[in-house]
Amino acid sequence: MRKKKYLLLIGLLAVGSLTGCQKKEVQPGEVKGYDEGEEYLSIWVHSIEDTPEGQVYRQSVESFNEKYDGTYFADIEFIPRNDSGGGYSDKINSSVLSGDLPDVLTLDGPNVAAYAKNNIIQPLAPLTEEERGEYLESILDQGTYDGKLYALGVMESSVGLYYNKDILEEADIEVPDLDHPWTWTEFMEILEKLKPIMDEKNGYPLDMTFPVGETSIYYYAPFIWSNGGNLVSEDGLTVEGYFNSEENVETMNYFRQIVEKEYMSEAPIEFLFESGRAAFKFDGAWEVNTLYESYPDLNFGIAPYVVGDEWNKERYTPTGSWAFAASAGTEKIEGATELVKWMSGVESGINIWETAKTLPSTYEAFEQIEIFQTDENYNMLYEQLSKYGHPRPKTPVYPQVSTSFQQLLESVALGGKDTQTQMDKSVERINAKLERYMKE
Amino acid sequence: MKKKESILGMAFFGPALILLTLFLFLPMVLTLIFSFTDYFALNPDMTSFVGLKNYVNIFKDELFLKAFFNTVKFVLIIVPCQCIGALLLALGINKVTHCKKYFKVAFFIPVVMSLAVVSTLWMDIYSPEGILNTMLSQIGIDAQPFIHSAKQALPSIAVMSIWQGVGYQMIIFLGGLQNINPALYEAAELDHASAWQKFKDITLPELKPLCVFVFITVTIGAFRMLVQPMVMTGGGPDHSTYTLVYDIYETGTMNWEMGLASTMAIVFTVFVVILTIIQNVLTKGKGDKHVNKKAKNI
Repeated sequence: MRKKKYLLLIGLLAVGSLTGCQKKEVQPGEVKGYDEGEEYLSIWVHSIEDTPEGQVYRQSVESFNEKYDGTYFADIEFIPRNDSGGGYSDKINSSVLSGDLPDVLTLDGPNVAAYAKNNIIQPLAPLTEEERGEYLESILDQGTYDGKLYALGVMESSVGLYYNKDILEEADIEVPDLDHPWTWTEFMEILEKLKPIMDEKNGYPLDMTFPVGETSIYYYAPFIWSNGGNLVSEDGLTVEGYFNSEENVETMNYFRQIVEKEYMSEAPIEFLFESGRAAFKFDGAWEVNTLYESYPDLNFGIAPYVVGDEWNKERYTPTGSWAFAASAGTEKIEGATELVKWMSGVESGINIWETAKTLPSTYEAFEQIEIFQTDENYNMLYEQLSKYGHPRPKTPVYPQVSTSFQQLLESVALGGKDTQTQMDKSVERINAKLERYMKE
Repeated sequence: MKKKESILGMAFFGPALILLTLFLFLPMVLTLIFSFTDYFALNPDMTSFVGLKNYVNIFKDELFLKAFFNTVKFVLIIVPCQCIGALLLALGINKVTHCKKYFKVAFFIPVVMSLAVVSTLWMDIYSPEGILNTMLSQIGIDAQPFIHSAKQALPSIAVMSIWQGVGYQMIIFLGGLQNINPALYEAAELDHASAWQKFKDITLPELKPLCVFVFITVTIGAFRMLVQPMVMTGGGPDHSTYTLVYDIYETGTMNWEMGLASTMAIVFTVFVVILTIIQNVLTKGKGDKHVNKKAKNI
């Protein structure tokens, strides 16, 4: 086994020496701004420098270096990732092997568990109560695994149930407030009422799809949680009895009914909601800005996410985004933690909103940005996120859980296959991935 | 003199050899080694040899088998259609007297375009209210789900792939057609041979070596199907367009299971190699004879 690793290392070294990218210790003066007596902190981010997001990271690092001049120096490296997650994660994977990870790296929220469990990241240095209190509970929850805080993000996210005000008025439907969302039964009745109206408009009550990729679990796992279900156990290592529980069978059958009664189109149709041919649509917070800018005539609002009939004010709405964490290899955990806190802090948060129109992750950032108080739609998203935000399942086999969930929607809701059978198959597949964690 | 030459030779060959070794041979050997381990990208230190366990497991994995059969289905649709299509197009363009360049370019453009772009374009064409369904409704056919149904997705993607790739093989056939000695046709005409006889007895035998080449490259290309389902359907609906290479990719990069993915890659390679050898044996014999005959004639 060791021999094999050496073989690979020799290969990598040879490649490294050819391309001249072997790692070396950075000395003061070699990088502009890095002076004698400062602690050098390297940080990798997953975006391109020229994008709005990349600029925010660059500015945050610069202001960090200004603030901690003489103590710390952060050196940022941009490693683009493609849509399917390649590029950046390939670099992480190969660096795990060669031991060349930076002090601080970014990772997608749901991957915290896998990275922590495999000892790629380490818990941050303890935060004071006051420091913790600055962050939304959802972002703390996302970064916590096994009771320890590993990661903090500057970005948060949310999904809204967008509705067309004119259509709902026409159908004489009142929208409830955040604390009293429509239940499944109520929502089904509303869809039934809307069906003939939307048929006339050559549309559907719901503009909804179950796309491949991360979207499906992100948008629709709240239906699982608000119905008292779960996808994985508390420690993230068991799915039997969770993923295929009775509650989840109910949830899948609910989706099946929506498809069967033709409240949504089986095959995705573009711009249904935007063109006024759908009464409702599930979409990310970013959609508000798109609608304001590209569809100024559309009279829309955001309703609270639909809940299961037995819902008892538990957290359930979509959250999560990329976050910063300290690599397991770094010995500068104090400095790395300072950097993580700064990168995800209030100032960066306000900047990420202003530059990239992405939701920030601290209460103060939200309070300082006027639009979250004055605009009813943005205010709704913020309130929903801070009060009811729930992170995606925390398990080291998250990618498999995510794919399985999407496939389940596809085969059961769209394909009409037997729910329990399909769920049991998913469980079997996830269990195969969990096997390696069971050995320990 | 000889030694000097060999040093010079090595100097030219050396860099290529080193790069090939590093980026081709070494990875291949490592893939073979990894296929017997449980190598996990996030935790390489925990790797241990597991013998043939991976090989046994993947053949028990329903999804892998499904991906395997989907890939075979793709190959079975694409290979004959694309080879025959390319030949017909080449014959047609060879006959056309006007705007020959236009047709050549028109059929070749899809080859130049990025697969991801082509796939995105065809998603629009196949969409429920897309151009294809609009055209169908004009002639009274109900809207089809195409890539959104488990039954139609695979053939839909295959049709798109054929459209995308056929231009390349067409150009190869066209080159071959233009290389055929016109004297052969003239002689045939003197003997009052029909068009079909000319095609069967001159064109086809002359193109035989090219046919073998096209057949094999199209087969290998079809086996490597990945981008189209990845962009258009994500392997769905219900895994109906999930291919072998897609499975390898997902297992290796998304789920970090490098060992298992290596095993799949090895099985995949072995399968393609065996198939290529069979194709070679089946088609080569006659082609060689033909070449020899031609050489004798000269």
